Amino acid sequence: MSDKYAVLPCNGLDKCAGQMTKEIAMLLCEGTQNEMICPVFYRVADARYDKIAKENPLLVVDGCGTRCASKLAGEKGLKIFRKMTVTEEAQKRGVTLPTDTLRLSEKEIALCTAMADEFIKEETAVPEQMVQAVEFPAPAEYLIHKKDKFIFRVPTEGFYFSENDCWLQVVGNRARIGITDFMQQSLSDIMFFTPPPVGVELEQFDEAGNVESGKAVFELICPVSGKVVAVNTELLTAPERINENPYEQGWVAELELTNFDEEKDFLLNTADYMKILKKKVDEFHVNKQKG
Amino acid sequence: MSEDKDTFMGVPRDTIDWKPTIDYEKCDYCMECFDFCPHHVFEKRENEPIKLVVANPLNCVVFCRACSKTCGPDALTFPSKAEVSKKIKETREAMSSHE
Ligand code: SF4
Ligand code: SF4
Repeated sequence: MSDKYAVLPCNGLDKCAGQMTKEIAMLLCEGTQNEMICPVFYRVADARYDKIAKENPLLVVDGCGTRCASKLAGEKGLKIFRKMTVTEEAQKRGVTLPTDTLRLSEKEIALCTAMADEFIKEETAVPEQMVQAVEFPAPAEYLIHKKDKFIFRVPTEGFYFSENDCWLQVVGNRARIGITDFMQQSLSDIMFFTPPPVGVELEQFDEAGNVESGKAVFELICPVSGKVVAVNTELLTAPERINENPYEQGWVAELELTNFDEEKDFLLNTADYMKILKKKVDEFHVNKQKG
Repeated sequence: MSEDKDTFMGVPRDTIDWKPTIDYEKCDYCMECFDFCPHHVFEKRENEPIKLVVANPLNCVVFCRACSKTCGPDALTFPSKAEVSKKIKETREAMSSHE
């Protein structure tokens, strides 16, 4: 546990959830060394907070799915250490937030306190299963697609792909999953990674964690069924590994396969994924020009 | 080319029910989802009371739910993944047994 954090709330004033982020930030800063970043002032004056934000682990408190605080962190090139969204936490805990008032009642304050506690809880211990039982070889060769200044790589051997831009590398009855080079580039700088829980049994196409950049949240769609036996904990502190090296250091989770022979049929090989990738790149390009 | 546009995992796209649904009670027309989705799923209706519609549901990437994460009021919902993937598998089986 670090003894000092930078705390960035969205401070959305026109919604109850936004108001609550301020309360949470205050709870996190009172009586501690933690420093609050004012999102409004940060937008206009970089110098005021840059040092605090870059030198300390950053806690981000968003009110709702618009993710204003996360987006701001993305614009400023910051890495997020831990983040929470008030509306999501409210949903998880079965709390309904008022829509007719911006003032916080006891119920909302209680949720704020619970969230603040959760933020500074000891980090969950690294799962035992991190010990790697299997060696996953680095891709020997890549197929390459170029478009303007962009280069998209797809490994040629030992990898499968899904139409949702996730990859799968199989060794025996184990597999690693991750996101493809194309998706990594579409998202641009990844600043936060939420792993799937270790031990959980995923069905094919279930969500297997997500990654977040200033642009978007990308849900990983698990290409096969399996039990999560390990997650890449390095990404918790260095999510940029996914950008740097999506097929090796940027792997997301390791699975014990449960139904691979049948599910293989639903996956793509390099050539077929390449076709889909080219189409997506073209569409994206056209849209950019229109936009 | 047009052929693979209309299939997903080997089954015709129009047999797969996957698209966002806008809850107009919650939607505040911030247009974040419209700006976000590159596939022209949403269309604006500037001069109508309902200002945003899901105009091209078949353009929506099956299992993608990305736009819902941009939606502050949580107004976008999707079908159940488990059911849709079951349906896709059934369609595939039916197709292969016909070959
Ligand atoms: S789910 Fe994905 S593809 Fe579908 S409308 Fe939303 S962003 Fe577009
Ligand atoms: S993001 Fe949500 S609130 Fe905004 S226009 Fe889309 S559906 Fe409506």
